Amino acid sequence: MKERTRGRLVVDWGHLALLTFISGVVLAYLLDARATSLKINNLLLVEPAAIIALIFVALVLPQCFRRVSEEKAAEPVRKETLSELGKVAALAAAFGAFVISLETVGFDVATFLFTAFGIYVCGERKLWLILLFSAIFTAVIVYGYQMLVPFPFPLRVL
Amino acid sequence: MLDLSAIGSALSILSSSYLAWVYLIPGLLIGLIFGAMPGISISMAMAIFLPVTLYMDFLPAVIFLTSIYTGAGFGGSVPAVLMNIPGTSSAVATTFDGYPMARQGKHSQALGLALAASVLGTLSSYVLLLFLIAPVSAVVLKMGPLEMFAIAIWGMMLLGALAGASIWRGLLAGVFGVLLGTVGMNTAGYIRGTMGIPWLLDGVPTIPAMMGLLAASQLLNLINTHYLIEDEADRKISFARIIEGLKLAFKYPTIIARGAGIGVIIGAIPGVGSSISNLISYAETRRNAPDGETFGKGNPKGVIAAEAANSSSEGGAMATMLALGIPGGGASAILLAAFAMHNIVGGPSFIGHNKDIVYAIIFSNFAQAVLLLFVGLGFVYAASAVVRVPLRFLIPTVLVVSTFGSYAIEGALSGPITLFVFAVIGWAMVRYNYPVAAVVVGLLLGRLLEANLLRTWQISRGDLGYALERPGAILIFGLMILSIGLTSYSRWRRKRAAAAAAASTMEIGS
Repeated sequence: MKERTRGRLVVDWGHLALLTFISGVVLAYLLDARATSLKINNLLLVEPAAIIALIFVALVLPQCFRRVSEEKAAEPVRKETLSELGKVAALAAAFGAFVISLETVGFDVATFLFTAFGIYVCGERKLWLILLFSAIFTAVIVYGYQMLVPFPFPLRVL
Repeated sequence: MLDLSAIGSALSILSSSYLAWVYLIPGLLIGLIFGAMPGISISMAMAIFLPVTLYMDFLPAVIFLTSIYTGAGFGGSVPAVLMNIPGTSSAVATTFDGYPMARQGKHSQALGLALAASVLGTLSSYVLLLFLIAPVSAVVLKMGPLEMFAIAIWGMMLLGALAGASIWRGLLAGVFGVLLGTVGMNTAGYIRGTMGIPWLLDGVPTIPAMMGLLAASQLLNLINTHYLIEDEADRKISFARIIEGLKLAFKYPTIIARGAGIGVIIGAIPGVGSSISNLISYAETRRNAPDGETFGKGNPKGVIAAEAANSSSEGGAMATMLALGIPGGGASAILLAAFAMHNIVGGPSFIGHNKDIVYAIIFSNFAQAVLLLFVGLGFVYAASAVVRVPLRFLIPTVLVVSTFGSYAIEGALSGPITLFVFAVIGWAMVRYNYPVAAVVVGLLLGRLLEANLLRTWQISRGDLGYALERPGAILIFGLMILSIGLTSYSRWRRKRAAAAAAASTMEIGS
């Protein structure tokens, strides 16, 4: 027993944040469903499933806390470096901006800008190649999907 | 069971005119290309080419459309293996082992396996259809909501198989998926969890959510990698390895037969179809395999199980459509539309009066399956080039293609927004070792589970004894329990044998 209490408590904050998000979504959904109606036709599956999900969250929660020895705690445990995580965040943010701006700035302009930025973030540094590839790719994808899909894609330039 | 005179006249119809054959290869190619494009579903590909069939005779028109169906059924597995994007919901289980195989440099084998399993699945499903079209249609008419619920539960059994390292994380992911799958208006008219967003009334758009969870999240994770396959030697596109994969599939006839059986039966049930059959076949194969723990890490059997089932679902769906005139999904609905365009009404009377045409369609599908082997080989060879594209170009372009695809499905920004939200959720879940595939399965089955549970509740008025009046449902539950029981028993026996072997070696050693 003495062995177990020794060492430092390490909290996996990212995992804890994910669990908080999942339980928040489940709880909000359960409350919304109950606010809609308490009839069995509404809650037959949702209520038991939400309660089970919250029980699973409680069972996973201890996995966010690990007790490790002092030497191990000093070692870096990160899977990625901060700059690698920054790249993921930059690409995800650009992707979000791309998705939201599609209809306002046009599919063509948004696609060109996102492709160019994405290629740059992913590591390509030759500017001419980035611009040329993005332009050709944008033209191919916009015209290709326009031919296949029955409804229009809002465009700005093409 | 077989009407020999009708078979004779079917063969003479097929041999009398070249028109019945001329559309086979174009149809397969169209299907392959469209099926491999994310966001273009089988039904969308068929819908695009439906107007063309107006100028064809009835039989060539149906053959052309079924060729697209067959081609697209396999086409969906190409992005599933190479990029973890299930082109259609029926290719979800293909990603589980196909993509890990590709990451290990076995993309050529994986595609060869998928192709052979698809061809064998399609062939065996049409052989079954040839003999079983009448009995299958009788069974389908007897399926009630409790039976459908039982089948959905069977699909959910996969969650245990997908759990990975932590069983609780796997189960949490699955239940979270089920809950997300029930968002929107349920069949009783209650609106929950929409946050006032109108497009969520119909529920979370499934295909964009799947693309986000499985593909876009992976792409975000790959940002610090240079190529899909790190080892340059493994990146080669090898025809010999594709053939190796093809041959490997023939070594597992039981998996293919099981997949084809599951595919035909589940595929015949309207509204369920190939999106569940591939999951059930995968789960059953994993449960029965001695190396079940390697599933999800690039086990070829997983690819065979999924592909055999999703391609054989076509035969099942055709059985329901031809025998009952009920479309099981989008693709068979378009076939029925083609029937209507030629003033032909599908259903029992069609089969009764036109057995020769039905047999001609079945025989033509045999030919389609065989041709798919050759056309598919060429296609797969060309498509494998994607592993040679540097990820710095592949990541943004695949994200853009997925976005266009999700817009094409929904016709509105709801698709791309769903894609983005689920990409971020998927990325976080992958980072903390949650099986995102479990969320996908839950999402696919959530609505089906709720709708059928609700219908069963309404019909039975809450009386549990109702289940005893449904022998079909009892049979399905019984089969499920039997399958789990047998697996546990064989696992227990294996463990005991291993323990005995270990004990005897220790004795010899001492």
